[in-house]
Amino acid sequence: MRKLLLIGAMGALLALLVSACGGSSGGGGSISVAQEGEGGTKSVSAACEKEPVAGGQLVYSRQLETVTLNPREIKNGNGDIFAQEMVFSPLVRNDPSGTDEVVPALAEKWDISKDGLTYTFHLRPGLKYSDGSPLTAEDIAWNLEQFADPEVNISLAGVAAGMESVKATNDTTVVVKLEHPVAAFLYNIAIFPAFIVDKAKLEAEGPAYWKHPVGTGPFIVKEFAGGSHITFEKNPYYFEKGKPYLDSMRWNFVPNSNTRVLALKSGEAQIADGIPFSQVESLQGESNLEIQKVELPQEVLLVTNTKAVPALADPHVRRALSLAINRQQLNETVFRGTGTVPNSVIQNFELDASDQEVPPFEFNVEKAKEEMAKSKFAKGFSVNLQYPAGSDYFKQMALLIEQELGAIGVNVKLEELESSAVSEKWFEGEFQMTFPFVGTSSDVPVPDEYASFYALPAAELDAFKSFWTNKKAEGLVEKFISSTNEAGRKAEWKVIQELFNEEMPSLNVMDFPLINGHQTTVCGTKANGMGVDQLQETWIAGKSS
Amino acid sequence: MLTYLVKRLMISIVVLLGIAFLSFLIIHAVPGNPAKIQLGVHANPTTVAALEHKWGLDKSWPEQFWLYLGNIVTFNFGQSTAFSTGVSELIGDRVGPSLLLLAYGILIAVVIGVPLAIVAAVRQGGWVDNAIRVLTTFTFAMPPFWLGLMLALLLGFELKLFPVSGYETGISGILRTLTLPALTIGLGLLVIIVRNLRANLVTVLQSDYIEAVRARGYSELRVVGKHAMRNSIIGVITILASLFGFFVGLLVLVENVFQIPGAGTLLVQGVAKRDYKLVQTLVFLSGAAVVVIGFFTDALYAWLDPRIRLGGRG
Repeated sequence: MRKLLLIGAMGALLALLVSACGGSSGGGGSISVAQEGEGGTKSVSAACEKEPVAGGQLVYSRQLETVTLNPREIKNGNGDIFAQEMVFSPLVRNDPSGTDEVVPALAEKWDISKDGLTYTFHLRPGLKYSDGSPLTAEDIAWNLEQFADPEVNISLAGVAAGMESVKATNDTTVVVKLEHPVAAFLYNIAIFPAFIVDKAKLEAEGPAYWKHPVGTGPFIVKEFAGGSHITFEKNPYYFEKGKPYLDSMRWNFVPNSNTRVLALKSGEAQIADGIPFSQVESLQGESNLEIQKVELPQEVLLVTNTKAVPALADPHVRRALSLAINRQQLNETVFRGTGTVPNSVIQNFELDASDQEVPPFEFNVEKAKEEMAKSKFAKGFSVNLQYPAGSDYFKQMALLIEQELGAIGVNVKLEELESSAVSEKWFEGEFQMTFPFVGTSSDVPVPDEYASFYALPAAELDAFKSFWTNKKAEGLVEKFISSTNEAGRKAEWKVIQELFNEEMPSLNVMDFPLINGHQTTVCGTKANGMGVDQLQETWIAGKSS
Repeated sequence: MLTYLVKRLMISIVVLLGIAFLSFLIIHAVPGNPAKIQLGVHANPTTVAALEHKWGLDKSWPEQFWLYLGNIVTFNFGQSTAFSTGVSELIGDRVGPSLLLLAYGILIAVVIGVPLAIVAAVRQGGWVDNAIRVLTTFTFAMPPFWLGLMLALLLGFELKLFPVSGYETGISGILRTLTLPALTIGLGLLVIIVRNLRANLVTVLQSDYIEAVRARGYSELRVVGKHAMRNSIIGVITILASLFGFFVGLLVLVENVFQIPGAGTLLVQGVAKRDYKLVQTLVFLSGAAVVVIGFFTDALYAWLDPRIRLGGRG
């Protein structure tokens, strides 16, 4: 009798355990999420429509830890970049409102010579570092030299390609000369490797400078506790008068998504990034929270190794693979409708042709079979697909793709590997098909960087390790990235976009955003075109009535 | 005694060398290159070679191992490639929260577990004994990750007794931010203390000297608390000391859930980024801690028990 009671008690406890583990919502189903910077439908929108008010502290629960504030030695991706954007400013910057325009930052205006080889930047008068010391054109020139030095700027030396010289011609003017026209030059110097740091302080303090760097960004670092948090206070010398609105911020490094969500729901954090797709719906039900999409050029990239698998060397086969993938279903199942079915092999840019001009990748099994029939592999083939472990949505995607490609005779064997191992194998070309990175995002809001990766041998990336070559694409991209005709670039890019789509060197499975959440009292939550938070625009509203 | 100690010291040094070699070999043999990991999509042969050279990774393995041994002897563990900080400084900053968390967790396990074990032993075979054993097995079986989140949800989010994440220094800060993670660890360790102590107590309470103590008319509280406990608790300490590897795993999970900037999280980050110097040093120091504790324990036992230092000779 005692044994029966014991078994019964264990069974009840087990049932309790399992029920507590159950998710709050089933799989699938699209949800509607506001764009970054848009007001929501909640009562907060009235409070946020008022004029910004200064003051207050913002607590931000962040997915990625800030490891270093050295913008020319990124260690942890957006964990570092987003923090550096708070502390430093570049000469020009990506539009804080999210367009792909480059707008003034430390430079208030600039002139470009007709041949596109000389850029003359005119600095704002009275610029100061956060400690009140003056910023001069000499400082800017030195920083841009560092940016162009591949021994200093190791990881993004490519974006500095083409720089010949930089010189301060007077206290407020900097002249940059290029060896050849670089269409994306202004975009290249708007990002983190070209941030302006305090040369004198860096030389005096050495590596210790990076713990409390002096810069010209909207905030100053007050405390940097590795692995725990970073706190900022407003920079009284920031070049945008009246900004930032916040007095201070505290960024907590919270890699666990459940803990981040709990912190947001409990009010311990007023804003959190990296909201899992599966939790968006339940959080939207909270009256005090707003969930927003942050658009940026980011895709789920599936690379096909044309050297390792004869079938993948055939563009008919690659097009067949793309046609066989039901991206709409994937979007609803995995991304809960927050993704966008792409119309380009590389990430989404404002320069892309519209969906009316170049239609998004369609799902059509019959057409996929027709493409297979045109190839030498009409009977199908086997292929191995590697994907990174530790990500729920990659596992789901891999399983869906395995099933869908099976319908056209492609037998996919899945191989789950640790994410570093997947990337290593991608670099070495030791794969057949792979998702090399959890998200593949461009560093600039124009397609020049990734077009070069695919089409230009000088990028040394073997067409992003697809080992695809195409002389026509090479010529078109060479011309495109050096074009000084801004108006003509859109037409040029449309031709390249269509060629890439036709050739399909790799597959763009989905363009997808970042998902952030914030309390409804947090207003002015904006991101630039690269998805970087513009917290100098953020303010905290009073309690709504 | 001196001969015995010297022998043990020589063995300890050999073991330490073995740990150093294995920690070097394992992290280097695992697929993944730190330069490629850091460069990501920007990894091309030129940039990878430049970064490898900067970090000294283009040296041969024997040369790197020799440098690593030199670093150990001089206590200068080099520069972390994942964090751009000295490895010593990094570990120094992070090991404190981990040790505090572990100590607090063990304290909770002892404070809860010892009374439960005593009650279970004294009421051996009864429903109280069975209930205690089932409950402690239940908390042990719960994945620490899940248990931690449930505690954060209930005691942090719903009841607002503690913050759901974060770490603060100072006594009040530690009590405020480490109680939930320590409770997660403590509940996970409970079964080890309860079952082991209970079993030892049951055996000891049946021994002759306990009967003799009872015959003197002492209270049961004194019999159990003073006389039986003394011989029963040693086994628990020995078992806890042998679970060092388990503790590291537990710390990694709990630190991740509660955002504690500890050495467990640091180890996981180091492995993910293939930070060779950081991982080698953490693994070596962990192994060295066990070896050093073992050495002093053996020395203490040899001092207490002549049979050990005489090698069993009568």
